[in-house]
Amino acid sequence: MPRHADASGEVKPDAPSSTLEALRRPSVPRRRSIFAIPAPVKQLFNRFPLAMYDANELPLSAPRSRELLRLYVFADGGGDGLEVVSFNPSCLKYQAYLRFRNIQFRVVSSSNHASPSGSLPFLLPKSAGTSGDSQSLDPIPGNKLAKWADGQESKFEEPSDPRSDAYMALVDHSIRRAWLYALYLTSNFRSVIWPLYILPTSSNSLVRWSIGYDLRKAAEAELLKFSPTIDADLLYLEARDAFESLDGILGSDTWFFGAKEPGLLDAAVFAYTNFLLDPNYGSGWTDDWLVGALEGRDGLRRHREQIREQYFVVS
Amino acid sequence: MASPLDEDVFDRLKHTEEQAKKAEELNARLHSQYEKAQARQAEVIGSNTTLPVTISSVRVLNAQNTRKGFLHGVFRPFLEANKKEYYTLSDALEDIGIAHHRLRKFDIFRDPISVYIDRPDPTDPSTTPTDIDVYFSVKERSRYTIKTGTEVGHADGSGYASANLRNLFGGAETLTANASVGIRTRSAYSAAFETPILSNPDFSWEVAGLASSTLKSWASHEEALKGGFTKLKWQTLSGAHKHEFGYSGLWRQITSLASNASPTVRADAGDSFKSALTHTWTHDLRDSRTLPSRGYLVKTVSELAGLGPLRGDVAFAKLEGETQAAIPIPIPGIKGDSGVSLTAGFRGGVLYPLALGGSGNNLPVHSRLSDRFQLGGPTDVRGFRLGGLGPRDGPDAVGGDVYAAAGASLLVPFPRAGPETPLRFQAFVNAGRLLALRKSKGGESSMDNAAVAESVKQTIRELADGLPSCSAGVGIVYAHPVARFELNFSLPLVARKGEDARKGISFGVGMEFL
Repeated sequence: MPRHADASGEVKPDAPSSTLEALRRPSVPRRRSIFAIPAPVKQLFNRFPLAMYDANELPLSAPRSRELLRLYVFADGGGDGLEVVSFNPSCLKYQAYLRFRNIQFRVVSSSNHASPSGSLPFLLPKSAGTSGDSQSLDPIPGNKLAKWADGQESKFEEPSDPRSDAYMALVDHSIRRAWLYALYLTSNFRSVIWPLYILPTSSNSLVRWSIGYDLRKAAEAELLKFSPTIDADLLYLEARDAFESLDGILGSDTWFFGAKEPGLLDAAVFAYTNFLLDPNYGSGWTDDWLVGALEGRDGLRRHREQIREQYFVVS
Repeated sequence: MASPLDEDVFDRLKHTEEQAKKAEELNARLHSQYEKAQARQAEVIGSNTTLPVTISSVRVLNAQNTRKGFLHGVFRPFLEANKKEYYTLSDALEDIGIAHHRLRKFDIFRDPISVYIDRPDPTDPSTTPTDIDVYFSVKERSRYTIKTGTEVGHADGSGYASANLRNLFGGAETLTANASVGIRTRSAYSAAFETPILSNPDFSWEVAGLASSTLKSWASHEEALKGGFTKLKWQTLSGAHKHEFGYSGLWRQITSLASNASPTVRADAGDSFKSALTHTWTHDLRDSRTLPSRGYLVKTVSELAGLGPLRGDVAFAKLEGETQAAIPIPIPGIKGDSGVSLTAGFRGGVLYPLALGGSGNNLPVHSRLSDRFQLGGPTDVRGFRLGGLGPRDGPDAVGGDVYAAAGASLLVPFPRAGPETPLRFQAFVNAGRLLALRKSKGGESSMDNAAVAESVKQTIRELADGLPSCSAGVGIVYAHPVARFELNFSLPLVARKGEDARKGISFGVGMEFL
């Protein structure tokens, strides 16, 4: 007779023979754990609590609107409008990508501490009520967002150009590293990063200094992972070459690889170009070293404008 | 086989019996002698109470590491008393008693501290006939202690190390450093410096720094704290009233969220700085802190954060009150203390949102997760899990702004053990409500001062809506001087949807129980 062990280690008969087993049961007392609660006691326990009232209301600071998907990003304010554009490249990449896929969501301004993975962005699924029910709300972390978004729309096919990965690597490595250097290890840290990332955390200057110090250290450590010393000129040249290649491959097409709709690479490139070509972030660039790497890249400029007009409402 | 050695052992045992008898007799003799001596002393002193004296000198022997200026402060009353016209022996003895009490309280000398009174040599021409010399013979305690160990407590285990430097600058200053790592309290480090003010052991100043990281599983996060506080502590001579007034600056970071953390917890994740003034008043007349059988306790904690020049990221006024009373219940047929007692307690608190100083904004700010009250658990409302009462968002206890909790326990000693042993059976009833402030009618989520006042009033009134969430049960109590342990069986009687009631057996350990 087939038998299987269940989670508690107890051996139970399989379903098909259960009627037979049930008939036999009175003669063979089932082995029971001494911790198991006898049925009458359990019934008695189930009567408690004797009275059950409605759930307590949530505090005033608790987020109320939960009918929409919520994308947690670094941004100035939040909202469901299209005017909120994240100032963080990793966040903007997915914000743009979700827009490309025509997914309705609400932007929530947040910090890395809110994320289950320790970094933004992440997407929180919809929930029915505002409180009470203990349904699980497992968030979708940034690195799984693209796949999740593709799964939402069955007819959509991500343009799978074999060159895509190589160009994505240019963005994720060459451009990202130069961006880290330009923003965290130059005077831009005070003028751009400080007002965008640090001022909103706390009004206390000691707290701000401590967070600022940690951020710079983290950026430095990240750069030192790839080379034993930080060579600013080399980082700049690599970024300039990367923008040049991207501009070249874009050519006169609207989207990369001549696709009909923008894809993940479009989102990733836009996340950087949008930021670099906007002189108004924070209190403005004091060192436009990296902005210079985009000089003459008219294709990328046009690409940025196209996305801003088509997918965001930017004054 | 019995060896000569065995017999020897029996002999010795017999001997000890006899010796014990002898020792007893000796003790009795000594005791009667001592009593006689005491009586004689009392007689001598009694017949000399009105003897006029002047204290010509006070000496503290063997206090090498204690500052003279500090000791001078302790004996100042003596020196001032000398100026009085009629200073008698009984006055002097009273002052010596007070000084003796103070010296002991500093906790820098070993017990006992002996006192001698002597008359100076009458042939010394610089003395007057009324002069007496007072000698305090002390033995200084070791100047440092270092402890390491492990602790297992309520759903927690930890290892700790602590170092204590005593009498640091010769003025009964202490420096304490603690470090511990554990399961719930991931890590905690603190260092505190405390010094008596004006050589008064009942008046002291403390400054401390701390850093800790605590797992708050009831709200799916870990809270990292960094900061410091300073406070003035004052207590009456008998210790019945204690006041503490202090300032604290704390950087709180809500981080390492669980993957299913609720949106409410996510919204409050990140950094906040609390800058607050705190006052604590304790009036404790209970006979025991962990197992009171008579007396009462009144305690209030008031906190003012972020208002005006305090700044920071949070602004509120927080008031908490606690009372507990215990009465012994005489049982007919049992002489003296039956050990049966009834304790009843009440706790309540309100968090009143204020406008943040220096923000240029007159609107009160909403409370944050770190500042809101939590209720439920073995030390307040038994029969509910830690943070089991109040508003819940999915899996998280997100806390409330107003609470009230009450409890009553009947304690009965174990049949054989009697009332002296710290073991009791108990039967208890606990109840509590924890509520978040509501939007005032038709209001927006941001409220002005008038709306907040209305909302707080409304919420306090709401505490009485319906029956409070409550539970009842029976259990065993063991009161160690350091902490009280309870093993209870309880069932919830009334609850709100989502509240985390616990049916069956639960274990609790803590200092103050409801």
